[in-house]
Amino acid sequence: MLRQLDDRLSEHLVVPAEVMDDTIELITWPASLPALMRTVREDGDLRFELLADMCGVDTGVTMQVVYHLWSPLSSDWLRVIADGLSRDDPRVPSVTFLWPGAEWAEREAYDMFGIEFEGNRDLRRIYMPPDYLGFPLRKDFAMPDDASRGPGEGIRHMETPFAPGDVRRDPVIRTSPGAGARIGPDGERLVIAASGSVDKDALDSGVIVEGALDSGRGPA
Amino acid sequence: MTTDRERIPSLDDPDVLVQTPATIYDAIPPLTPRTEREAEFYQLEDGEMFLNLGPQHPSTHGVLRVVLKIDGEKVVDLDPVLGYLHRGVEKICEYGDWHHAISNCDPLEYVASMFSEALPVLTAEKLLGLAVPRRADYIRVLAWELNRVASHALFIGWLALDLGGITPILYGFAERDEIMEMLAALTGQKLLFNYLRIGGVNGDLNHDFMSRLGDWMSRAGKQVDSQATLLNENEIFVNRTKGLGVLDQATALRFGMSGPPLRATGAPYDVRRAHPYSVYPELEFDVPTRTDGDSYGRYLLHIEEIKQSLRIIDQVLHQMPDGPVMAKLPRLIRVPPGRAFAALESPRGQYASYAISDGSDQPFRFRIHDPSYFNLQAIGDLTRGHLLADIIAILASLDPVMGGIDK
Repeated sequence: MLRQLDDRLSEHLVVPAEVMDDTIELITWPASLPALMRTVREDGDLRFELLADMCGVDTGVTMQVVYHLWSPLSSDWLRVIADGLSRDDPRVPSVTFLWPGAEWAEREAYDMFGIEFEGNRDLRRIYMPPDYLGFPLRKDFAMPDDASRGPGEGIRHMETPFAPGDVRRDPVIRTSPGAGARIGPDGERLVIAASGSVDKDALDSGVIVEGALDSGRGPA
Repeated sequence: MTTDRERIPSLDDPDVLVQTPATIYDAIPPLTPRTEREAEFYQLEDGEMFLNLGPQHPSTHGVLRVVLKIDGEKVVDLDPVLGYLHRGVEKICEYGDWHHAISNCDPLEYVASMFSEALPVLTAEKLLGLAVPRRADYIRVLAWELNRVASHALFIGWLALDLGGITPILYGFAERDEIMEMLAALTGQKLLFNYLRIGGVNGDLNHDFMSRLGDWMSRAGKQVDSQATLLNENEIFVNRTKGLGVLDQATALRFGMSGPPLRATGAPYDVRRAHPYSVYPELEFDVPTRTDGDSYGRYLLHIEEIKQSLRIIDQVLHQMPDGPVMAKLPRLIRVPPGRAFAALESPRGQYASYAISDGSDQPFRFRIHDPSYFNLQAIGDLTRGHLLADIIAILASLDPVMGGIDK
């Protein structure tokens, strides 16, 4: 299966197909996506007919759209990652021409990440209200309440009254592992260090350090 | 003397100031079509009208709102509106550690939450490369299959209830309640169990659970048989389900459907066999399929699946190994960096999650795939041209659970 995938799809792949545990992973460019998906679905030796899942991902560096497919010919999942979408204007061709069932999944990815699926004829918000601004699952989305202070601290406002001065001013950004991101001791400052470790001085002084966010394709 | 009636201020009275309180709805701009499809849908032809079904309609199985475009009694088109139960579980999971994700995922599938809470567990175990003790695996399968029986028994009752038959749901709830009490004895909670753990389960089998289970097994399936006797050849039930909501295999696959709606079209896709997990490869059971693909076929398939689940429970009880029920793990689990996709077969179809870990104790991204979400999408294709009352029957036969759909 792996060799057949590599043979048929070599021109669309960023890196050769890779087996991870029980999943074959293909990484492609957004522009190659329709051709690649058509091949894996319609080729008689591949037959990945079932769209097992489709979702958007924000790595903090780029946006991705991740598809999981299943074929009756193999028990392995096929993961197709359309990588390298710009975070400012994420665009990717829709796969609704192959799987009409991707329509709602694409609406969800649009709702949560702002990814534009070109060719989806019903791309509007699906969960959030129509007049909602912002894309909640993006890493630069600031949660307006103190649940965004850090793990386990979301319960704080139920235990003690919420003081007006507690409102955080800086958005929390959890970036990719290449750049370590930590919230300051009082949950007020964001520190990004390029090396992946916390910049202690910056943490103490409360200065925001812009880190190197060019660590390639995101999480390992 | 004036009566009370005369003292009520009239809207015609110029002294009465009528003020509409400012609501959140004031912020919503007047409806302008945002997409091609929306523009097409909100265009009325002669004799057509819009009708809102839900979100508080009891037969929409939760808070599903469907905007119907109807011509007399015939449904021309429909537009499901989701999000009334949206809590942002995926976002919440990113802000808690892996253990929090278990209880956060619990209410997704509130009819069978043993399945949705398994998502972070299976995904984290895959990322950790962790082998679960065999006894824990068997206990998991036992809990899953019991929960599947409970969920399917309720489905049969709901389907009949939505068609106007009260009795089958009483049998369904009786069966479900017995299983829920049983699982409460095992897990401590009756609805949202929070029982599975990364590396095993929270607590071994106990005497209370086993005695209830033994008691139930001695007459297992009888209540389901009673439901089946009531419905299988019931003329009204058959007339309102047979040949309605027909789905062919190619369409079901293109819609990304799974579970009973897909298997009723003949595709034998069951994650327990298609992509085995846990100890399912060691157990004997069949994947029942049908070829009719209508509401009646989906109903019969559920009865078949209950029988298969009972077969699995029987084997699990006979093969239950001894040993620990938890792997030895530190309390704070740091999951190695990487990405993993894990799936399991819930009563509604393939529940799956895709997680990215950055090496910390929290998921970097936790995607939840809900089968009802994909199954519900087909409702438009299934009901176009049908009568209004049949929409309810077809919707019930797809067995949606809004907790998972809205996430």
